[in-house]
Amino acid sequence: MNARESADQASESPSVSTPVPQAALVVEALERLGVTHVVGLPDNGHAALYMLLETNPSIEVVSVTREGEAWAIASGLWVGGKNPALAIQNCGLLESGDGLRGTAMRMRVPLLCFISYRGFEKMVAYEVEPDFDWHPDTLTREELDSAALLLEPTLRAWGVPFYRYNSDDDAGRVAEAWEQAEREERPVALLMTRGLRAGEVAPKPR
Amino acid sequence: MMTTTEILEPLARMRDDEIVVTSMSTVRPWGRLSDHDLDFASADSAMGHTADLALGLALAQPGRRVVCLNGDGSMMMTLGTLATIVESGSKNIILFVIDNGTYEITGSQKVPGAGVVQWADLAAAAGFPRTYVFEDAAEYAAKIEEVLEGEGPVFVQVRVERGSARPISRSQIEESRYLKTSLASWSRCMRSTLMEEES
Repeated sequence: MNARESADQASESPSVSTPVPQAALVVEALERLGVTHVVGLPDNGHAALYMLLETNPSIEVVSVTREGEAWAIASGLWVGGKNPALAIQNCGLLESGDGLRGTAMRMRVPLLCFISYRGFEKMVAYEVEPDFDWHPDTLTREELDSAALLLEPTLRAWGVPFYRYNSDDDAGRVAEAWEQAEREERPVALLMTRGLRAGEVAPKPR
Repeated sequence: MMTTTEILEPLARMRDDEIVVTSMSTVRPWGRLSDHDLDFASADSAMGHTADLALGLALAQPGRRVVCLNGDGSMMMTLGTLATIVESGSKNIILFVIDNGTYEITGSQKVPGAGVVQWADLAAAAGFPRTYVFEDAAEYAAKIEEVLEGEGPVFVQVRVERGSARPISRSQIEESRYLKTSLASWSRCMRSTLMEEES
């Protein structure tokens, strides 16, 4: 499946009444998949995920100072025999292009990447869909977030398959994306359209 | 000032089962000295991310030392990595910065801050517990065992003469085995080797 096809299969936009997805379900999925490390730079969207991982005994967090580091560190972890994943924000993804290209993509590292879709809800509110050919007037509209506008076109251009993760109903996509990454030996992204929340599913004790 | 050979030959003599990650001006010279499954050329890779890749290897293999031969231009691109290494808690990474003050591969243009930036001081300020600065080959050769032994992370600044290394390819025309294959193929082979040794 190519990136455009995967985008076409992305979820419908979440409605306002859909509950915000739980970080605990993501952590449970990562545990089931045997993920050993989450590499990234905390942001609002992933705050609850990082909070749960702080006390998780089976998944180590590697914090970076800039997202470009994350692709290379994760790639090194994989060569070293581990099973890492990434968690970064969309503006961090845009910053990290050469790190992604020159390590995870060039090395064909099967890598699951969670990307916070900052600004997604504004796109929905103003009925703007991702486009490859943004007019500068759109990119500078103060009510929109250009990090959101450029996320999906950038991933398509870079050849990274991606899927939207809108609610707990999408928890199965973690395993699906992981399996695709393993099968195709490439990074696959899950776009977290809403900030995760700390959920009712308690982390396992140490 | 030292030469690249004066850095690499003592290191090759001391090398046991360490992972050695090379970049830029050390890629070909190391490949002439070593033909080891745990050599990794950060060539045809991402700009400035050699030390990050080495950190990932070090975190994955905490019982094995990882020697990273980084360039000063590459290190300058990702200074934050110094803090990331310390924060990670990795004790087994030995990070060299080959300080020749230039972007040698692209024609020896000057690296910003060349001759001014004190690399070992930067690393110490970031929290590296052991740092070294070498510009004399005999002193370096006498200390290399100490550098490699004991707990890290370790930072080693080596002042070297300007060289004339040319752009590096991954192809059959290259002399070294680790450059004769793609980055993806070598990565897979190395992962298999490390996982087999663990099992």
